[in-house]
Amino acid sequence: MSTTIEQSSTHGGVQTRPETAINTAKIDIENLDFFYGEHRALKSIELKLPNRQVTGMIGPSGCGKSTLLRVLNRMYDLYPGQRATGKAMMDGQNIVDPGVDLNSLRARIGMVFQKPTPFPMTIFENIAFGVKLHEKLSKSEMEERVEWSLNRGALWGEVKDRLHTSAMGLSGGQQQRLCIARTIAVRPEVILLDEPTSALDPISTLKIEELIDELKNDFTIAIVTHNMQQAARCADQVAFFYLGEMVEVAPAAQLFTAPKEKRTQDYVTGRFG
Amino acid sequence: MSATLSVIPGPAKDMNASLALGRKRKRANRIVKTLCLTATGLGLIFLASILATLLSKGIAGLSLTVFTTSTLPPGSHGGLLNAIVGTLIQTVLGAAIGTPIGLMVGTYLAEYARDSALGNAVRFVSDILLSAPSILIGLFVYQIVVSPLGGFSGFAGCLALALIVIPIVVRTTEDMLRLIPSQLREAVIGLGAPKWKMIVLICYRAAREGIVTGILLAVARISGETAPLLFTSLGNLNWSLSLTKPMASLPVTIYQYAGSAFQDWVDLAWAGALLITAAVLAVNIVARTLLRGRK
Repeated sequence: MSTTIEQSSTHGGVQTRPETAINTAKIDIENLDFFYGEHRALKSIELKLPNRQVTGMIGPSGCGKSTLLRVLNRMYDLYPGQRATGKAMMDGQNIVDPGVDLNSLRARIGMVFQKPTPFPMTIFENIAFGVKLHEKLSKSEMEERVEWSLNRGALWGEVKDRLHTSAMGLSGGQQQRLCIARTIAVRPEVILLDEPTSALDPISTLKIEELIDELKNDFTIAIVTHNMQQAARCADQVAFFYLGEMVEVAPAAQLFTAPKEKRTQDYVTGRFG
Repeated sequence: MSATLSVIPGPAKDMNASLALGRKRKRANRIVKTLCLTATGLGLIFLASILATLLSKGIAGLSLTVFTTSTLPPGSHGGLLNAIVGTLIQTVLGAAIGTPIGLMVGTYLAEYARDSALGNAVRFVSDILLSAPSILIGLFVYQIVVSPLGGFSGFAGCLALALIVIPIVVRTTEDMLRLIPSQLREAVIGLGAPKWKMIVLICYRAAREGIVTGILLAVARISGETAPLLFTSLGNLNWSLSLTKPMASLPVTIYQYAGSAFQDWVDLAWAGALLITAAVLAVNIVARTLLRGRK
C-alpha cells in the first residue's frame, strides 16, 4: 500500500529515508487559489516549506492559514463545493492535481487538529490504526512501531503501563501528543499542525513545543497558530496571512522585529487582529 | 476602579415599579409551577393505577403452567408457552431483518447523503413510516405477502415487525452518527483512511451505545405490537414453530383472551400483559444503562 513512501528500511520503527538537502523546498506552493463555493479564500499564494524546518503561519481569524493546511492534505475533498487551483508541488507531484491518490498523499502529509481527536479505542489501537492502513506489520513489528512513535511523541513514559486502556482516559495534553504520535507512526514526510495547543494548558503547550523542536530533525512541519510568541519560539520561518493573501514570509526573528510590509508590522505589534 | 463606574447611565429606575414587577413575576411563576405539578401528579396517578392493576391481576394469573403449557380450551388449565415462544421468535427475527437495513439506511443518510435530494426524500419517507399507524403496516404485509402466498404465517409477522424496526433504527443511527464531531472524521481521513473504514471502524465505534440503544428500543416497541400481527401471523392456539404457518404471540393472545367470557382466559391475558410489560421494562433499563455508560 505504501508505494509512495520510499523507505530504504522497512522494519518496525526505524526511520530512514533518502536524504533531501535541508534548505530545499519540501513543498513549493505557486499561484495557489482556493474557493469555498464562489468565495475565494486563498489568493495566489506563493510559499515554500523548506525541508525539515518549521514554517509558522500567523494571521487574524479567517485569513486563510488553516485553509492552506487543509489544501495541503486535500482535506477539502471531503466537502463538495470546495476546490483549489494552482500548484503545490511535492517531489515533482502537484498535490492539488485531481488525479492524486488521496490516501497515500495523506500518509505522506499528516495532520494534527486543534482539538485532540483520540479514537474511541485503546492507546495501542489508536497508533496501530493508522499504521495498519498503509503497512502490513507482524505483531512484534507493530509493538516496536507503537513504542517508537509514542517515544517520538514524548508520551511513552506516561502510557507504557496502560497501552491497552482507552485513550479517552488521557488528559487533553496527553491526547494531543497521542494524536501527534499517531501521525508520526504512519511515517509521514510533512506534518501539518492546526493550532495544536490552543485547547491545552501552558505546561502541555510547552511539552508540545519542545516536541515540535525535536521533530523537525526528521519532518517538515507547518504550524498554524494564533499565538505569536509560539510562532517566534517554534518556527524557523514565519508567514503572515491576511484576507486570503500571503503577505510576507521571512525568518522568524526578522518577521517579528523588522517586517517589510506595513500590514505585517501592524499585526505583530498588536495594532489589529 | 474609577468613581464614574457607580453612575449607571440612562434614565433613573423607578424602584416601586420594579418591585411590583418582581411580585407579579413571582405570582406567575407560582401559578405555572402549580399547573405543571398537577398535570404531573395526574399522569403519575394513572400510571400507578395501571401498574397496580397489572401487578395484582397479573401475578394472580401467573403460575408455572403459564410457561410450560400452550394455550388450551377454556377450563383445561392452559398456559401461554406457544404465545411466549411465538413472540420471542417474531421479535428476534423481525429485529434481525429490520436492524441491518435500518443501520445501512441510517448510515447512508448520515455519511453519504447529508444534503442530497435523494437523502432528504429517504429521510422524509422514513419519518412517515415511523409515525404510520401499525395496523397499516399489517395490512400492507397482508396485501403483498399473506394474500399472494395464500395464508397467514409467522414469517409475514416477522416482516411486519421488521417494517416497524427499520424507521426507528434509521432515525437513531443517523442521529447518533451525526453527533460525531467532524474533527474526528477528519482525523481518520487525515491518516489516509478510506471513507468506508472511517465509518465502519471509527464512527460505528464512537456511536455504538446510541445505535444499540435505538435497536433495543425498537425491540421493546415490536414485542408489544398487536395490530401488525392480526393480519399477518394471525395467532395460533396450538404449539407451532413453523414460520410458514400462523404463529401465536403474546399481544394477539391477550387481545383474544382479555375479551372472552372465561375467567381462566382473562387471568391468562393479565399474566401475559404483565410478562410483556416486564420484558419491555427490562429492555428499556438495559438501553438506559448503555446510554448512561456513554457519559
